Formats: sequence, C-alpha cells, structure tokens
Amino acid sequence: MKDRLLPYWLLIPAFVIVLATTIYPLAHSLITSLRDWDLTKSRRPEGFVGFDNYVYAASESQFLNSLWVTFVFVITSVILTVILAMALALLLRRKGPMHTFTRIILILPFAMSPALIGVSYRFMFNPEFGVLAKGLGAIFPALQGVPWLADPQLAMAILVLTDVWHWTPYMTFMCLGGLASIPRETEEAARIDGASNLRIVFGIILPQMKGVILVMAVLKTIFALKMFDQVVTLTGGGPGTSTETLAYFIFNVGFRWFDMGYASALAWILTAIMMFISIWYVRMLLSERKMATA
Amino acid sequence: MKRNLAYLGERALLVLISVVVLFPIGWMFLTAFKQPRDAYSLSLDFEPTFRNFVTVFSDPWNLGSMVMNSVIVATVTVAIAVPCATLAAYSFSRFRVKARKFMFFLILSTQFIPAVVIVLPFFLMFRQLDMLDTRLALIIVNLAIVTPFVIWMIKGFIDAIPTDSEEAAMIDGASRLRVIKDIVLPMAAPGIMTSSIFCFILTWNEFLFALILSRRDAVTLPVGLVSFRTERGDLWELMSAAGVMITVPIFIMALFIQKHFTRGMTAGAVK
Repeated sequence: MKDRLLPYWLLIPAFVIVLATTIYPLAHSLITSLRDWDLTKSRRPEGFVGFDNYVYAASESQFLNSLWVTFVFVITSVILTVILAMALALLLRRKGPMHTFTRIILILPFAMSPALIGVSYRFMFNPEFGVLAKGLGAIFPALQGVPWLADPQLAMAILVLTDVWHWTPYMTFMCLGGLASIPRETEEAARIDGASNLRIVFGIILPQMKGVILVMAVLKTIFALKMFDQVVTLTGGGPGTSTETLAYFIFNVGFRWFDMGYASALAWILTAIMMFISIWYVRMLLSERKMATA
Repeated sequence: MKRNLAYLGERALLVLISVVVLFPIGWMFLTAFKQPRDAYSLSLDFEPTFRNFVTVFSDPWNLGSMVMNSVIVATVTVAIAVPCATLAAYSFSRFRVKARKFMFFLILSTQFIPAVVIVLPFFLMFRQLDMLDTRLALIIVNLAIVTPFVIWMIKGFIDAIPTDSEEAAMIDGASRLRVIKDIVLPMAAPGIMTSSIFCFILTWNEFLFALILSRRDAVTLPVGLVSFRTERGDLWELMSAAGVMITVPIFIMALFIQKHFTRGMTAGAVK
C-alpha cells in the first residue's frame, strides 16, 4: 500500500513548487488582466472591466510597435542562430586540438550573464571610444562615424548580434549532439563515390538533421520571444521605441507606469503566444522520443 | 594543393571563431584593469591597476553585498530545487503513475512561461507582505524558472541509468527509498552535479526578477551593473571590474561541466 503511493509522494515537493510559483501567478495575473488597477491611484484593485484591457491593446500603437519589434527580432535572431550553429557544428565535429579548444571556449558566451553582454556591447559600440565602433571604422572607411546604437536599424542589428553571440554556442552543442547520433556510413559511401562536400551536407546530413533543426528553431523562438535583459542594458528600448520588445514594453507598463491591469493583459497575450508555440514544441519532443525508442 | 588550402581555410575559420568568442570577454577583462583615463582609449599600452576592484567594493558601490546576495540566492535556490526535482525526476523516470503524461506535459510547459507574467503577481504579493527587496522573494521567484528545467534535465540522466541493479536490490528486500539513496543517487551524481551547476548559472545570471523585486538590500550582481550608469555617464572601468566579478566564478563552473554539458543538453532537449 505504502509503496503504491510512493511515486506520488516523490512528486509532491516539486509539484508544490511548480503550482505555487507558476500556476498560481498565472491565474492571478489572468484575473488582474480583467480589472482596472492603476497602482499609482489605488492600492487595491478596482472593478472588473471584462476584456477592456485586451481590447485597448489591440488599438494601442505602442503595443503594436512592440509586437512588430519582437517579430523582427525573433525572425532574424532565430534564422541567424540556427544557420550559424549548424555551420559551426559541421566544422567542430572533426577531431583536432584547435577544434577541441574552440569547442571548450564556446561555452563561455553561453555562461555569460545576458545583462552583462548588453553592457559590454554597449561599451564596444560607443561611437567615441568603443573598440568595435572605432575598429570597424578603421577597416571599412564607410563605417566611420556611424552612430551605431543611436540609429534605429543598427541598434536592432546590434541587439540581434548580442543574442546570436549568446545563443549560438548552446545551439551548436545541440547540433553536435544531433550530428553524433546520425550514422556515418551513407556519408562515407558518398564520399568514396566522389560526392562533393556541399552535396554531402545538403543531400545527406541536413535531411537527417531535420528533427534537431526544428527543435532548435522552436526552442530559440521561445527564448527570443522573452528578450528582455539586453534591451535594458544595451539600448533601453531606444532609440525611440525601435528596440522595445514585448517583454520590455510589459515591464514599462507594469513597473514604470504601474498600470497593473493593462500589464497583466499584455503579459497574458505574450503567454498565449508562447504557450501556443511551446505546446507544439513539447509535443514534438515527446514524439521524437517515441521515434527514438521505437 | 587543394587539400592544403582547405586545411588552411579551416584553421583560419577556427581562429576567426575563437576571436569572435573571446574578444568581447577579453576586452572587458582588459578594461577592468585600466585606469579611468585609459578605459576611454583603445591603446593596449597601459599600466594595469587593481584600483577599480578596490573602488567597486567600497562605498558607494558596495559590490561585496551584491556578491553575497547573488551567492545566497543562487545557492539556496539550487539547494531547494535540485532535491525536489531529483525525486520528481525519479518518479517520472521509473513509475507509470496516473496522468503521468499530463503532469509531465504541465511541468515542461511551465518552463516556457515568460518571466514577466510570473513577476507581476509576485510583485503585488510581496508588496502586500512587505517582502520586496528581500533575498527570500528572489529565491521564490527563481524557483519558478529553475525547477521545471532541472526536473527535465535530471530525468534525462536517470533515464540513462539501467534498472537491473535496482531490481536486484528490491528482490533482496531493499525498500524503494533505500534503492534511491544507495543505488540511484550515486550513479546519477555526475548528472545531478551538472544540473545543479546549470541551475546555479541560470539563477546567478537572472536579471528581470532581481531588477523588479530588489531596490537596495537584495540587489544581485547583474542588476548592480546598472548602477554604474550615473549622471556623469557610464563608468566603464568599474562596470568591467564588476563584470569580471560576475563572470569568473561562472566561467570556472561552466568549464568544469563542459564535458557533461553537451550530453546534458542533448539529454534534456533533443533526446
């Protein structure tokens, strides 16, 4: 009898934590999102206003702007990270002292605090004394005196750059794991038949990596949707609102303007987007696993 | 000839990658040892100094208390999350409990809930309880991010352990808890260690929660970085010194688990 219940006892501590720290806040902010609650005006929540906060969002230009910014950011950073990670993994799967060295140091960007990455790129792209701003200007005269972070497009490009720098290593490790698990025979046979490297990569390796690449892309999308840390420390959402991601905008609404009702509604919109993608992702993981064990 | 070129090209690419990876980190380390006036020049010819480190640890920056906060918050979070997650991971790995799939699904999905959604209600709650700007508040919200992740990761490691010796011990009359303690834990130890370090790194680098929930007393290192932005402008040499303090312990840990990292990642994410 005791042993039959044991599996559940083992689950209880973790479940209590998950319930208290994620399910409860989710429910709480769902309720708050239906209320009118401006923290600067009242300490207690005011009346329920139905879906007013959501309706308001649909026509508010700053929210729509942040949605667009997030979309641009996610698309560029996911595509760049996945392609770079795949290329790096193909290069690094070979043996050799330089390959090993590169693999080892590759863990460093991933371990670095994203807030700090934002700070150090801001330093390096300072137009007056930033080493990258000056260095790029010296190598390419056309880039001399470019205002980098003061330019909307370039600020977005640098934000993407910091994220790609941070995430490519992790994704490369995932690719290396995937590459290690596909059989080498077909590839070797093709090589003996004189197939070119390009054909081997595109004709043999990539098709077998489809599952891993899909998992990577979705996982990276989920993380990119939450982009926040570097926005604070690198661009502050600027210039103007050109790098104001959704997570950063919600932060502003909630903790600069203290409009709790609206912030909760926005947070739920982000959650809904993420949930949609992550349910798809988890399903994919579980079916991959089934395939692997079958 | 063609092979030689390919060989050289590959080496050149590897060097380029290493430079791209190491340069931003190296530049920060250099700046941390520069005098304020050298920090704004690109010259590599400067007299190294430890003064920035002395400055950040003294008034008004007091990096020491931020280091303490970061160490305590990360350590306690790991100490709570990892044991709970290990038990849950074992249960998920070995038993066919009712609604197992649903529960596992639930836990996996919570991993992807955006931090902003979690922090809004907690901010209101902690404000009511007068718990804003405390380490306990940070530990509680960090558990939200870390726990599902660690369950998933440790489950990957436990799945990889064969069940034979467990079954043999049970036939000999050992209880399940004994089996977990004497057989599973020692075998899963490297995996649990890797997951703990991973969890420590996540908490250590966490920014959003600490930015919102701390003001003065509970400020952690990543948030402390922002305080070097003053009316006089950004104090880069001090920021870099603080950056070195944030990264060095984490880099040591990351290199320590580097070997298991690929495995842990693929076990957790791809397998």
